[in-house]
Amino acid sequence: MEPSFRIVPGSAPKSASVNDTANSLGLHDTLQYGPRSIAAEIKTENALKDRLENWEETQDNLKLSMQRNLYGLHAPMRLLMERKIVSANPHMAGLPQSNLHLDILMGRDETIEPVDIFGGMEDAPPLNIHKDMEKKLNM
Amino acid sequence: MASVFSPPGFDFSNTLRNNFFAEKGVPLPKATSTGTTIVGCLFADGIVLGADTRATEGPIVADKNCEKIHYITDNIRCCGAGTAADTEFTTALISSNMELHSLSTGRKPRVVTAMTMLKQMLFRYQGHIGAALVLGGVDATGPHLFTIHPHGSTDKLPYVTMGSGSLAAMAVFESSWKPNMSREDALELVKTAIKAGIFNDLGSGSNVDACVITASHTEMLRNIEMPNERVQKERQYGFRRGTTAWKSEEIRSLVVSEEVTMLGAGDEMDTT
Repeated sequence: MEPSFRIVPGSAPKSASVNDTANSLGLHDTLQYGPRSIAAEIKTENALKDRLENWEETQDNLKLSMQRNLYGLHAPMRLLMERKIVSANPHMAGLPQSNLHLDILMGRDETIEPVDIFGGMEDAPPLNIHKDMEKKLNM
Repeated sequence: MASVFSPPGFDFSNTLRNNFFAEKGVPLPKATSTGTTIVGCLFADGIVLGADTRATEGPIVADKNCEKIHYITDNIRCCGAGTAADTEFTTALISSNMELHSLSTGRKPRVVTAMTMLKQMLFRYQGHIGAALVLGGVDATGPHLFTIHPHGSTDKLPYVTMGSGSLAAMAVFESSWKPNMSREDALELVKTAIKAGIFNDLGSGSNVDACVITASHTEMLRNIEMPNERVQKERQYGFRRGTTAWKSEEIRSLVVSEEVTMLGAGDEMDTT
């Protein structure tokens, strides 16, 4: 994200892409994911969803921008580097994982958020280990 | 590369379908407010919180004796008006976070901490979490009383009311509240205010709950007054045995024949 002093996420221009559900032919994989309409996705109002999904990132961006202005580029750069090092995950994709070191760096090791309570194994979509491993190793 | 940020925790996969319905003229059902009277007031030694005990589902009373005064920490309590699930969940979440925070800082929790956590969370959800709260407690800096509205705005006042019965209760407060009241006077005032809400507002009813918080001690007075006790029914409405005569009787045994076969060598333990 570019440096900004926004506290609240702005309304980003809508975009939807077939990349996340594409099969080997490059089109949307209806057999695996069901029907999908990109036009409908662009048209729907998702104000709350966008706000919630971008909230943490916007707040984080604010802090990093201020640190850049106060201490220089090295300050946010080191923090982002530490996060990247810690997020390198050698485990199998798709299975539930917890990254305590990342939680500590992001400052959520001593808080409980709705995501810790909801979104467990009962609500998650069925496991797609092959697909997830392919995605991970192709990176 | 997976995102370092935690996901919002809520599932938005139905927004496409809901938008489609809204366009076709079938709007989302509105989450109805519970209709409540909750009050809080400052007195000489601390805070008194009060609430009624009726939970409604539209025009129907869903719970005749629900608890609206939620626990945040030992010396901080929160009354909740609005959608019952939202107030329940929000106060439980903030209570857990307050405990973790106080363990981390090593200090007794403060009311402003709870207020800041609540207002930041409610602002993030833009009012979709319908929780209107009266937060009160006594901490190391003294007694504090706050209201938090569903969109995240807060007020710090010596006496507050929220919910559909707030106007009736506020009328009582405005006429009788004085600074530095005694505990008995404050409790009497809170009970009168809640009763004003119970008798004059359809959304509030049943009994009066109160909670007195002082620097040393928190006292939860559940159902301190019950002005809506149900009277005993005047007549018996049961039927005596033999009211309905039967014409014929047939008893069939469902077990035709029964045979027990022992499986294995009996119940001896296998010690090989």
